Amino acid sequence: MSTLTRWWGVTRGELRSGLRRPAYWVLFAILALMAWGFSEGAVTISSGDSTVGGERSVVTSVFAQSMIQSIVIMAFGAWFLAVAAGLVVIRDLELQVVEVFHSTRLTPGEYVWGKFAGALGVFLVIWLLYILVGTGFNHIVAAGPEAEHIGPFALGNYLYPTLLFGLPQIFLFAGVPFMLGTTTRQPIIVFAFPLVVLLFTLGFLTSYSPSWLSPEANRALMLVDPSGFRWLNETFLKVDRGVEFYNTGQLRPDSGFVISRVLFSLAGLVAVAGAARSYASRLRRGGSDSRLARFFRKRRGALDHATPGAATLRDLDMATAPLGFWKAARVIGREEVRELVRRPGMYLFVPLILWQSVGTSVFAVGAFNSQVLLTPGDMAVRQLNTLALLICFLLLFYTVESLHKERGRQLAEIFNATPIPTGSILLGKTIGNSVVAGLILMVGVVASAGVIVYRQLFAGSPVGFDVVPFIVTWGGVLVPTFIFWTALVTALFAFFRNRYAVYSIGMGLIIYTVFRMTVNDPFPWMLNWIAWGTVQWSDMGAFSLQGRELLLNRLLVLSMVPPLVALAVKWFGRTNVDATRLVHRMRPKPLLIGLLRLLPFAVPAIVLASMLHFGGRAGRQGSAAEEAGKDYWRENTATWTDFDMPSVSNVDIDIDLEPGDRSAAVKGEYTFYNHRDHPYPQIPVTAGQWDPIEWTLNGEEHEPDDRSNLFVFTPDTPLGAGDSLRIGFSYELEFPRGMSKRAGGEAQFILESGVVLTAFAPTFAPIPGYIPGVGVDEDNSYEPRDYADDFYVGETEPLFGWGGEPFTVRTRITTPEEYTANGVGQKVSEEVVDGRRTVVWETDHPVDLFNVVAGKYAVKEGNGTAIYYHPEHDYNIEEMSAALDAARRYYSEWFYPFPWDLLKISEFPAFAGYAQGFPTNITFSEGIGFLAKSDPRSHVAFMVVAHEAAHQWWGNLLTPGRGPGGNILSEGMSHYATTLLHEQVYGDRYRMEFSKRIEEQYGDQRFVDSERAMVKTDGTRSGDGTITYDKGGWVMWMLQQEMGRENILGGLQAFIAKFNPDPDFPVIQDMVAVLRDFAPDTVAFDAFTAQWLFDVVVPEYRFSDVTKTREGGEWVVRGTVENVGTARMRVQVGATAGDRWSDEDDDGSRTVVAEDYRDARTEVELGAGESAEFVIRAVFDPERVLIDPDVMVLQLNREAAVFEF
Amino acid sequence: MLEIRDLVKVYPGPVAALQGVSIEVSSGMFGLLGPNGAGKTTLMRIVAGLLEPTSGKVIFNGEDIVNDPRLIRRQLGYLPQDFGFYPHLSGEAMLRFLLVLKGVEAPQGLKRLATELLDRVNLSYAAKRKVKGYSGGMKQRLGIAQALAGDPRLIVVDEPTAGLDPEERIRFYRLLAELAEDRTVLLSTHIVEDISVLCPRVAIMYDGRFVADTTPTEARKRLAGTIYQGAVEQQDLDEIERLYRITQAILIEGRNQVRIHISQGAAAKGGVPEGFEPVSPTLEDAYLLLAQANGEASS
Repeated sequence: MSTLTRWWGVTRGELRSGLRRPAYWVLFAILALMAWGFSEGAVTISSGDSTVGGERSVVTSVFAQSMIQSIVIMAFGAWFLAVAAGLVVIRDLELQVVEVFHSTRLTPGEYVWGKFAGALGVFLVIWLLYILVGTGFNHIVAAGPEAEHIGPFALGNYLYPTLLFGLPQIFLFAGVPFMLGTTTRQPIIVFAFPLVVLLFTLGFLTSYSPSWLSPEANRALMLVDPSGFRWLNETFLKVDRGVEFYNTGQLRPDSGFVISRVLFSLAGLVAVAGAARSYASRLRRGGSDSRLARFFRKRRGALDHATPGAATLRDLDMATAPLGFWKAARVIGREEVRELVRRPGMYLFVPLILWQSVGTSVFAVGAFNSQVLLTPGDMAVRQLNTLALLICFLLLFYTVESLHKERGRQLAEIFNATPIPTGSILLGKTIGNSVVAGLILMVGVVASAGVIVYRQLFAGSPVGFDVVPFIVTWGGVLVPTFIFWTALVTALFAFFRNRYAVYSIGMGLIIYTVFRMTVNDPFPWMLNWIAWGTVQWSDMGAFSLQGRELLLNRLLVLSMVPPLVALAVKWFGRTNVDATRLVHRMRPKPLLIGLLRLLPFAVPAIVLASMLHFGGRAGRQGSAAEEAGKDYWRENTATWTDFDMPSVSNVDIDIDLEPGDRSAAVKGEYTFYNHRDHPYPQIPVTAGQWDPIEWTLNGEEHEPDDRSNLFVFTPDTPLGAGDSLRIGFSYELEFPRGMSKRAGGEAQFILESGVVLTAFAPTFAPIPGYIPGVGVDEDNSYEPRDYADDFYVGETEPLFGWGGEPFTVRTRITTPEEYTANGVGQKVSEEVVDGRRTVVWETDHPVDLFNVVAGKYAVKEGNGTAIYYHPEHDYNIEEMSAALDAARRYYSEWFYPFPWDLLKISEFPAFAGYAQGFPTNITFSEGIGFLAKSDPRSHVAFMVVAHEAAHQWWGNLLTPGRGPGGNILSEGMSHYATTLLHEQVYGDRYRMEFSKRIEEQYGDQRFVDSERAMVKTDGTRSGDGTITYDKGGWVMWMLQQEMGRENILGGLQAFIAKFNPDPDFPVIQDMVAVLRDFAPDTVAFDAFTAQWLFDVVVPEYRFSDVTKTREGGEWVVRGTVENVGTARMRVQVGATAGDRWSDEDDDGSRTVVAEDYRDARTEVELGAGESAEFVIRAVFDPERVLIDPDVMVLQLNREAAVFEF
Repeated sequence: MLEIRDLVKVYPGPVAALQGVSIEVSSGMFGLLGPNGAGKTTLMRIVAGLLEPTSGKVIFNGEDIVNDPRLIRRQLGYLPQDFGFYPHLSGEAMLRFLLVLKGVEAPQGLKRLATELLDRVNLSYAAKRKVKGYSGGMKQRLGIAQALAGDPRLIVVDEPTAGLDPEERIRFYRLLAELAEDRTVLLSTHIVEDISVLCPRVAIMYDGRFVADTTPTEARKRLAGTIYQGAVEQQDLDEIERLYRITQAILIEGRNQVRIHISQGAAAKGGVPEGFEPVSPTLEDAYLLLAQANGEASS
């Protein structure tokens, strides 16, 4: 019998036994489900045009398959492969069959390579089946004229990614764990390897890509990424190359990447060779594991024939008294801990999990990519999901291995014959394994404290550490999850008595849960066992939004533990069950009796689950609310969608808030004024789910027609042109109403921690007219409106607000005394009676919309400004106040005089994450500005205040029109205003930093194929957000360079003056028409607006053939610069030496140019695809050449347009 | 008193490992002898509460072990046929851990007790050594130490002397004999010498059934005058085997020493081959004859 035959015998045996194992078929089921999801278009390359008829990226292209396969193998295959390959030798050792094998002619090498090949082969079979099934789903099941995401079939598109991205990972994740398992014989180490690599790869290698990362470092990271995804992403996917490229292009790896893939494959094989060597060596030594151990054995061998003692057993005076339940559990638990401490897994997992969880929170970003100022509560909550996920994985491994331990070491018979109660065994093991989870949590608290204290001491953070949020969130949320999970895993193990089955089910459950919670249709409270995303932290009052639901959810999870424990104790196999008796027990009657016995344990769980289920259904997200919305849409959309409403001329509203009860009593009156030239026989008003509502018409009781909450008023005589009428209302409300169905934030709320209510939707006040979006979901959604090119001619409806003419508002707000309540306008009175504070706010200039915000505030007053904030959130108040003062002052100078008396910002709890610029009354979530990590370099707090304050002008004083380009007049203009304010307050350096930041966002977030001209951008396509904000701000900045600062500001002032107020709400075309009159060179103005506003262009510059020579007393730099992008722009090329900005003297308050900085410049004008040679003469020795040194031209990949000598 | 009534165990296959065995064992040492696969280990595991029978009862001191295996665990000292320990623990720590689990108490404390127990099984020299470094015999001794610890009323030992050298075997015999004075010891083995030395009563199992329930003395007595021994040349061995029932055939100094069974009647008629002399029967003769008889009956 040849070596090959013997090797094949081992391989075939492993292959056969592997394919019979359920774990692989669970993996296949998961992969097949994913293949089905992919075939439905769940994952495609972020490119193409998302509108109907737009060209889409297909899931069948070689790029899409490469993206999918590189991640799928890493995420799903790595662990299965590692377990499959890493445990094969361990299993044989446990079964004690190894010596029998080697009593034959089978050599260690043949055995090891055969085992490896078998384990590898099983996975390859599963993988090929997955490819086959995926191909079938794509090209047979999903294919068809409707399936725009399915391209033509090409076998190479599936096999090539497997070859390039799959096989190297497969060899690596099979080979290294195989070596680890064979040499250490420790399953935990086998499990650790894929987890370490998985988390490092997915958490860092594939995603870490800051703008300042050098190309060399980036390249190095690409090559060490075992998934290959970073290379794919950085080389092809990150910058959108257009759908045509992805759908039909060829994926050609460079030589470095190919070498990297070969090395990964070889690493796996070399590891197997190492395993074979180690195995053979140990076999020669008879299984001893170290020289030291052999040394001691030799020394002690001399004592092996010690003189027998003559004493009898009776002398020992032994007795037996079985242990009590708790003492027994403690003994087992202590032994588990002792073993855990000795095993290396703990020392691998603990830092790994901490690195992942603490690291995730440390690098968290907030609004406008700002760095977050981590408070203890915020930091604790940001780690919840990561900790829950990773510790559940860990508990799965440790619990199963712990329960299997006695069987694996053949101690089970002795162990099970002891009188220790089964419950004690299970509890003891649980306690032991919980130590790992507890240790991670404790070290996590210490690490988090370290981060916060370090930042406080060395990074200028004002936030101190507080352990209470960690105890409350981690203790209250995570600990029940871990108890439940351990009980579940124990019950599963007790039932199946097979660790592979439990691993498969456990892994499958975790993966499915995370998939549901993060990708598709999140679990409701009742099923959210892992408490994913259940805590929205607020320093202003944690748990005030969904504390009740969370409490019930945690109690439910804990209530599941007793029945699971009862089942685990019942099933735990200390006595091997007889098959015949088992069949008898499975008869209906005994089964029913068993279930009835279990019922008392399950009653609390059933009750709690019912409370969550039915509470959620009856609440604000439940089916009743959905149905009410649908009824509203169904009954009214055909009749009222295009109804042009009369103006509201005055709002008078009293709101009596009870934040502790989430309730309010509302009474008010709207005055409608017919600003049009036709009469209104009917006036519709939309109300919320308030019952009962008492309505009045012109002060008299009235019963309007109730059309599913659209109340239609029919006055005795139609409302004639220029006439007014008053509609009054009073009701009580609870908001948010009832329980939520699933975890998540709320946009508006009345809570003890704070109140934020707006008149965008009928949350606290009726809304004039019909609201088109209410009751629309995927069942009745429709494509967005297509606008004609001249849609803006004539009257255009407002983008937001109630429409019509601006109106006055009087808001009377009553709250408990400790609250401060703000409305639009200025405060005209305030009084406290019987512990209730009543404030009255009145507008001193008409507004388009109003809101109410309240909280337990401290106040920072500025020049005509005020900031109302949570007393503990004073970290950025000075910077924010300065920004608000500067914004009020300079925006008034630049754009339009601020017409109101007071401009204020009020903070609200982070249950919503937005900022909204209502007239005079800006609201900020605490995560925006207040908890931004602002430092002299980034001025984040300044930036967000500058942007939001700009909406007083660009949004309120000038309300944009509804239609393409409209929102750019709000968001883009606010970014432009922010750019100007940066320059005004901090100088060039920080203006450039801000411009580069939003330029980078544009480069990262744009979608080439779906990008339309700014005048066509309506927010409905992927990538429209960055066009609206970032490109919008940039283009206005460039237009300023084109027109000159005074000209553009003069034009913008004229623009606001023209449309404030006006029944026609403007869009970009209206602005261009006004600005053109202020352009000194209308030809250049037209050329600029034609390409930047009416077309899609963006340049991208590259240098080539750059040299520098010494000619006489000067240095001459020559080179070629090419515009590989689009747009025709004049752009400067600079040769520089030294760092431009002085860090030593710079305190962040103003730009300081470094003394040793030198530059020399020239200018080129390049159109799309054009190149030009340039010459720069300098009196200094240039160190680099760069494009656009002053950051004046929006472009892609600016960091690549630098040449270093 | 241990009562086994109509015990049946059928493994999926089906394989009938026990076919309705019944026996009563009172205080003292009781041997269970039988070839591999006879059902001894199955019976021992059922008695130890580790395996559920298909039917039948096991009652110890009036308590039904099958219905509630927990009842026996409090009173049990058990040494299985195959076992292991936590490899990372020292022998002493492992034993102490098991003593705690078994609820063993001693005036001198468990640490001291573990040391003394290890001394009784001659393992004190390796008390601090990790179990993963133990030889097979050392592990067996550690297993014996834990089985004998405490005050078990029923001791079940399955092939306890496997892997022990003669000296250790004798030591074990002494310990077991001491314990058997006032409690029930169930000893399963296929080594006849173990039974001969230790057990006043022995049951012989074959194919899932008891084929004999006797004492070694009684078994030997029944064969008195029927066992003959003689030296046989290799070429004559087949002929002897054809004509007589051989109980044992061993090579001594290159020659076959053969023990044969001849009924007293046949011997009286001169049926004893030349060169064979009457010898005292052993338990092994009895066991092997029974085994042969059952093998023939089965075939």
